Amino acid sequence: MPFRELYWNISAHWLIYPLFLPFAVACLYGCYRVLQVVLVGQPDAGRPPLAAQIRVVADQVLLQRRLLAQPIAGSIHVAISWGFAILFVATCLVAAQDYLGVPTLRGAFYLYFMSLTVDLGGVAAIVGVALALVRRYGARSERLWKPRDQEGYALFLWLLLAILVSGFVVEGLRIAATADPWGLWSPGGWLVAAGFTGLSSAQQALWHRVTWWGHAVLAFGFIGLVPFTLIRHTLAAPANIALRRAAASGVIAPVALEDAEHFGVSTVRGFPRKDLLDLMACTECGRCQDACPAWTTGKPLTPKGLILDLRDHLMAEVAGRSSGKTMVGEAVSEEVLWACTTCGACHQACPVFIEPIPKIVEMRRFLVMEEARFPETMQAALRGMENRGHPYQGAVPSRTAWTEGLNVPVLAEKGTAEYLYWVGCAAAFDERAQKVARAFATILQAAGVDFAILGDEERCTGDVARRIGNEFLFQMHAQANAEALNRYGVKRILTTCPHCFNTLKHEYPEFGGRYQVTHHTEFIARLLRQGQVRLTKSLGQGVAYHDSCYLGRHNRMYAAPRDILSQISGVRAIELDRHGENGFCCGAGGGMMWLEERTGKRVNVERTEEALRIRPDVVGTACPFCLSMFEDGIRAKDATDTLQVLDLAELVVRAM
Amino acid sequence: MVHVLVVTEVQETLPSRNTLEVLGAARSLANATQGAVSTVVLSAPVEGLASALFDGGADEVIWVEHPLLVTPEPEATVAALTQVVPQVGAHVVLLADDSAARDVAPCLAYRLQAGLVTEVTAVQAEGEAVVFRRPTYGGRCLAEMVATRFPVVGTVKLRSMEPAPERGARPGQERRISVRLDESHVRTRVVQRVAEEVRGVKLENARVVVSGGRGLKGPEPFLQLQDLAQALKGAVGATRAATDAGWVPVSWQVGQTGKTVSPELYIAVGISGAIQHLAGMGGSKTIVAINTDPDAPIFKVAHLGVVADFKTLLPPFTARVRTLTEA
Amino acid sequence: MNVVVCIKQIIDPEIPAEQFKLDPASKRQVRGGLSLVISAYDQNALEVALQLREKAGGKITALSLGEPEAQGAVKSAMGMGIDAGVLVSDPTLAGSDSFGVAHILAKAIHKIGLPDLILTGCVSGDTGNKMVGPLLAEELRIPSVAFVSRIEAKDGKIVARRIVEDGYELVETPMPVVASILSDDTNVPRYSKLKDIMAAARKTVPVWKAADLGIDPSCVGPGGRRLEVRDVGVVQRDSRCELVTGDTPAEQAERLATRLRELKVL
Repeated sequence: MPFRELYWNISAHWLIYPLFLPFAVACLYGCYRVLQVVLVGQPDAGRPPLAAQIRVVADQVLLQRRLLAQPIAGSIHVAISWGFAILFVATCLVAAQDYLGVPTLRGAFYLYFMSLTVDLGGVAAIVGVALALVRRYGARSERLWKPRDQEGYALFLWLLLAILVSGFVVEGLRIAATADPWGLWSPGGWLVAAGFTGLSSAQQALWHRVTWWGHAVLAFGFIGLVPFTLIRHTLAAPANIALRRAAASGVIAPVALEDAEHFGVSTVRGFPRKDLLDLMACTECGRCQDACPAWTTGKPLTPKGLILDLRDHLMAEVAGRSSGKTMVGEAVSEEVLWACTTCGACHQACPVFIEPIPKIVEMRRFLVMEEARFPETMQAALRGMENRGHPYQGAVPSRTAWTEGLNVPVLAEKGTAEYLYWVGCAAAFDERAQKVARAFATILQAAGVDFAILGDEERCTGDVARRIGNEFLFQMHAQANAEALNRYGVKRILTTCPHCFNTLKHEYPEFGGRYQVTHHTEFIARLLRQGQVRLTKSLGQGVAYHDSCYLGRHNRMYAAPRDILSQISGVRAIELDRHGENGFCCGAGGGMMWLEERTGKRVNVERTEEALRIRPDVVGTACPFCLSMFEDGIRAKDATDTLQVLDLAELVVRAM
Repeated sequence: MVHVLVVTEVQETLPSRNTLEVLGAARSLANATQGAVSTVVLSAPVEGLASALFDGGADEVIWVEHPLLVTPEPEATVAALTQVVPQVGAHVVLLADDSAARDVAPCLAYRLQAGLVTEVTAVQAEGEAVVFRRPTYGGRCLAEMVATRFPVVGTVKLRSMEPAPERGARPGQERRISVRLDESHVRTRVVQRVAEEVRGVKLENARVVVSGGRGLKGPEPFLQLQDLAQALKGAVGATRAATDAGWVPVSWQVGQTGKTVSPELYIAVGISGAIQHLAGMGGSKTIVAINTDPDAPIFKVAHLGVVADFKTLLPPFTARVRTLTEA
Repeated sequence: MNVVVCIKQIIDPEIPAEQFKLDPASKRQVRGGLSLVISAYDQNALEVALQLREKAGGKITALSLGEPEAQGAVKSAMGMGIDAGVLVSDPTLAGSDSFGVAHILAKAIHKIGLPDLILTGCVSGDTGNKMVGPLLAEELRIPSVAFVSRIEAKDGKIVARRIVEDGYELVETPMPVVASILSDDTNVPRYSKLKDIMAAARKTVPVWKAADLGIDPSCVGPGGRRLEVRDVGVVQRDSRCELVTGDTPAEQAERLATRLRELKVL
């Protein structure tokens, strides 16, 4: 009967409890402090249902799906975390035998699980830690070293390694000293044992005892350290993942302004508790930073830096040692806040589901609504929205100017229509984008679709105002638009702009506007599949589709545009390096369309360079902002002869 | 029989270009009504000035000398003119619409209980009335104002009238009028005068003006405009957007609240063409617009346009201009 | 230091040419659906007042003469942080010329209480007139300085930067004084804080009629005008712009230079 003697050679093993006690107390106290810190925030709107919590935890904590989006780094983490989980379970099972008499160290279970599986877990963990050390110190992966040069992290890795190695040493010495007949079932320990066969029994026993207690101290020390260091993520991350907000990354929560004492968030206590939990769950992995278009192009904004600065400020505030430092302006500089395009790449990349965007928007709300302190060009755009109902300047006389020669019905005259084509401000007032509206209207007419536009009754959806932080202006526009749409009994809306799409679909129900909103790429793809539009020409061009953040990442719509391309004969679809959910922002979201980038490289130039590298003939877009950014980028790179940018509607019309 | 009184500006010992324009308008009005033109000079007699004024169309030069008028505050000017105008018995008092007139004209009209029209671009008699034309609605429109009671004060928009055609040595009279002025008339005091450094040609007199607007996005690109202006022997101007942003001195501003210019050639770089800017350069003979936005309103008033980024267009253009002008 | 800022509500002038329409009967612009704004230089004046209050304290009152809708302009000013506002609105006052407006404003200012400083915009955003400021000073028998971009207050006097052709003058005057404000990079109108906007929305703006002010009827209204506006016509502009094209900037530059040479301008 295979077995292992419980606590062999360790006569005073009961001492582990008093030894563990102070570390346990420290750990509990630390956890209590973290909870206290998080509870400093505002009560949350609600909690996700239990089923959803369980599902996402199973997905992300057990299967670690997001972590594995980066296969190598993810595997390292799986090896370390699963390895340790197995070791931890094993240790608990030993205690189960000790107190409950459960025969865990006996029989087949002992061999297959407690020996073999546990050993392999330990080996995997060691390999993982070793690779982690290589990644951090050898490869010097940038996301680990910027924006803070944290030498101290190595200590955790070395500590883990010491715990693991000492564990194997203990096992090796026991196997050697007891000439364990089942030693081979613990392959790691068995290999280590080979190194100790030269020692005498007495020496083996002594070293075993020493290492056993050393291993205990290291392990207990590690447990004690957990809540005081980033290792707290082992507890905070699963909690954060379970409590993740249901709303998609592109949706900003509304806020009641009527009787509000303050607008936006200017101190840490103003944040909802979930946002503070975010700060404590951060593992400083930097995947968000790598994905961020602002950081990539040399701006001071990095989501990792933002979260860590906020976390430090939070801890200092709660401990009373922030010495009057303001959160907005000093802990987090205004320049950082105005560099964000709200593209959501950071939300997508974060393995523990931290959300920088709502925090940034709340701080912007403070700057805009409470302090009226924000970039002048954005002020001009918002003034335009207040006075003229749209953020553009220029000479276009009305919202129907683009329809010249096309006979597009206006709802005021037509009375009713099956679909309302929401044109948006860009397609109405930006000369280049007007061509997209014309192309889409042409397609709708060719397909015999019953549609109409609001014309001059349309006002900006307010997406820009909300993202810049002027929630008041957004709400005024949303209310006015919803009223106009409801007055006409509009049920179905088509739009050529992902920002309008996102706002109308997700953010208007709050104001009484509930509509079935379809983006033009989805609609065109459907029309093509159903044969309502016939394509007769072949285009013979290489087309790289650029995923719009507000259509793609925020609304997970990647297929329809590609479907359209596949239905145009002669089109050779090429994928950009960063495509689909890893798409790289064009740089115009979050109000950035109205802000000159003064630091680093312009985001749209970076993306244009990426496009030029794969040498397509055309970049296909589905958003008027992306279109504008590419036009600008192509001009900046002097590539107007080699590269064209066209909306997918324009491509379809060319093939008709 | 309209008697026109022109308030004269002197530059060195000659009437300024502004004054000659006003005199020209006054002369046509007087000729059309068998009237007369008097000019008042707020200084002691200056050698040669009277004959220049007669050549410019004046029938009479009135000298008004007083210590407080040597470096006149607007208030002193107003106080003096308030006494002079009734003595002259003029129907119409004309001044050039320059920075001094902004303070002088309204106060003078008030004290004379006279009517007031500013930025006059045309004036003519119609029977017993005098009709003035002036821009309004930012320059989009032209208003016709009719004066039937006199006196009436008018400020003449610069570069919109022609000096009187030269008629060789003309006869004229001179006289002096004395005024009573003391410190109590002058409550404001100029503590310091700061002249912006002007290199080369002065904006208001330049034959060629190269102007920059919002599209320049900062002060440094104005150096490119200066290169071009130098090659064309012209001056550099700016729009309100550029001066409000502090990129260039306010004195470079061309527009409704800045300078009015009417050069032979006006090159508008990165300027959208807001109506208030057009108010200051709409009279230019040839307008060239350089802008990346083909929709910009400037293209509706320009004679020649290039849809291009000035940063890449100006260097070869300036080089070409240099070769052509040196040839 | 107490300040009164005179503001005028006008139809938004930053509109494309096609949206500008004149009413042939009244010779005034037709509003249509266009939005109403505070005349641009009046906004600079509000900003100057706010900056002076930040330095020297005091109360700022916004004073407007106009249609009843102009209450919106006064509230807008209060949204920027102005302490109080008054609107003078009376059908009998419509159609007044600058002299009439100055008279009305002067009466209103007497009712408010003569402040230390009165600010107006240097040029009116619609008519382009620049007379009201100095005329108002004459009505009040105080000095005026026109086209001022910056003001500093010091021991009962102000030092104003008056812009002239070739630079500027620093002009010193005792208070009370009227200054008409020109825009400058130091007086860009601030964006309003939402708190102030909402507070202003809750206040009511007092509206004064002609009878409340003891106005002399002979100098206001259409009958009080010193000159008659006989006609206002839109200036037709020749919109034939010749576009110079080229594949490269060098080519465009070449063609432009050639064309200018042909036109004998170069």
